[in-house]
Amino acid sequence: MPISMPAKLSAAAAALIALIVLPQLTSGYVVYLANLMLVYIILAIGLNILIGETGQFGLAHVAFYGIGIYTTAILTSRYGVPFPVAVIAGMLLAGAIGFLLGAVSFRMRDIYLALSTFAFGEAMQWVFKSWDAVTNGPNGMRIPQASLFGFRITNDHDAYYVVLAVAIVTVLVTILLMQSRLGRAFRAVRESEPAALALGVNVRRTKVIAFTLSAVYAGLAGGIFASFSSFIHPDSLGFTTTILVLTMIVVGGLGSIAGAVMGALILGLIQELLRQAPSYQEIIYGVILILFMMYAPKGVIGALKARFSRSGSAAK
Amino acid sequence: MDWQLIWLFLQQGVASGLVTGSIYALLAVAIVIIFKTTDAPNFAAGELFMAAAYVALYLLVFLALPFIAVVPLSLGVAFIAAALFYRIVLQKIGSSAAVTVNVVIATLGLSFVLKGAVRKTGVGDVPRSFPSIFGNDTITIGQAVLTLQDIGILALAVVSMTIFFLFFNFTRTGRAMRAVGMNPKAAVLVGINLRRTRMLIWGLSGLLSSLAALLIAPKILMTADMGSVVILGFAAAIIGGFTSLPGAVLGGLIIGIAENLVGLFISSRAISVAPFVAIMLVLVLRPQGLLGGKVAVKKV
Repeated sequence: MPISMPAKLSAAAAALIALIVLPQLTSGYVVYLANLMLVYIILAIGLNILIGETGQFGLAHVAFYGIGIYTTAILTSRYGVPFPVAVIAGMLLAGAIGFLLGAVSFRMRDIYLALSTFAFGEAMQWVFKSWDAVTNGPNGMRIPQASLFGFRITNDHDAYYVVLAVAIVTVLVTILLMQSRLGRAFRAVRESEPAALALGVNVRRTKVIAFTLSAVYAGLAGGIFASFSSFIHPDSLGFTTTILVLTMIVVGGLGSIAGAVMGALILGLIQELLRQAPSYQEIIYGVILILFMMYAPKGVIGALKARFSRSGSAAK
Repeated sequence: MDWQLIWLFLQQGVASGLVTGSIYALLAVAIVIIFKTTDAPNFAAGELFMAAAYVALYLLVFLALPFIAVVPLSLGVAFIAAALFYRIVLQKIGSSAAVTVNVVIATLGLSFVLKGAVRKTGVGDVPRSFPSIFGNDTITIGQAVLTLQDIGILALAVVSMTIFFLFFNFTRTGRAMRAVGMNPKAAVLVGINLRRTRMLIWGLSGLLSSLAALLIAPKILMTADMGSVVILGFAAAIIGGFTSLPGAVLGGLIIGIAENLVGLFISSRAISVAPFVAIMLVLVLRPQGLLGGKVAVKKV
């Protein structure tokens, strides 16, 4: 039983209204959480383009996120660059480095690609930690208050609508992009490189574009993070965070934008809730991952689809 | 830096590097045997190593068991735990290439569980040191100084790797494991029980991690995060080509020596980034590793 278009639209409208009134009803912490979830959504959608759509196991996502954060923070605080320009600069720098990483690793696949990009991610974290002059090294760095066209963003509430708008635009742009020729090329490369080649897809270029694009998304997420956060520490830019984003898209359902959004919400919230029980946090999180892989291997989206098609065929 | 000092550093770096390298070699072998038969990297290898070290510490210090009982017990626990994880979790997920990412995430889940469990027990919340059975006397070889403990680690690692290779090459079970690694379908056709063999491999991999943990534990400070050393095992496996066992051993020794030389010649701060640079260089320049053979091209 496929969900009808009007039902989808009204659900989307209801969600939008709920999101818009959210900060009026809740406290600062909830708004901070909402901001963080929206950043996770941008991160997850970006990684989904590379892993879910194109099938390339890049595990350096958080490195580009870090590049976005540091570029935005450094440009606004030391050089007085306007916030939106700084975010775009962060996206471009992340994209450029993502392009280079894609250009050297497009020949690798599977585990080799996973490990080389993992190594790149770890090396970048080392750079964040050790390049004292630029990133203030292991002490972390204060991020100045962002200002947007004269408005100062002083707290989470101020940032919320900016973050929400960027996240919504990102989701919409991604939906369009995935329906375009490029999106089809991504999926063709994922399914079979030789077949994609035979269909006239430039496999090498498609992979490099996927790497670049995914890095741009992560850079954007970093810039947006800098709008409401006041501090960044290199310890939070390690493999654990990449794994968090990876599990988001797998738990949500690989290759699906809705899946990436859901995964980001589910795991992001679980992470935050588990902070209440720090001593059990790791155990519970690990068990959840294992159970998801055992009983919902295609993610939430896959499980929902199976549900709907089953009840649909039962109705016949 | 004059030549005498360089020569001294070289000797010391190689000697110490062989000792730590032999541990990385054991870890790399534990990673490679799983990758060859399950087609997925075991990202819980480091935490299995860490948990095994804590099991041994618990038996030895908290229960005050003699060393002679602790070694087989902790090896056995690691073997059973890893085999059970395969039997209960991974068999349910399946092991075809299409679900590799699911297997990877399940192993990551295991690594979180183990880390959390060790922290929760009250043994792993503060750094601890592991008692050593070898003395702290030193031996000088050439100009390199090693402790008796270092010699013991190297000797035991070499002996256990030799036993392992004999097992892999000359026993029925070992050959069955190799057959599964080469071609699972053909292995089933000649009557090998795929599930049982894979379960044994997981157990064996757990045992190797535990062995590495027992050997290195007295040399390092134990924390719940000590599993991160496994990245050097991964680096070793990559240098060796990721599917070759001799390659994994060679890779382990190379990483060990390189790490010590970087520490002596460049800076101790550079040690932590060296393995990642090595991984990237090897993969970009020679993706199949040093002993990985030709890259197989999959047909549609």
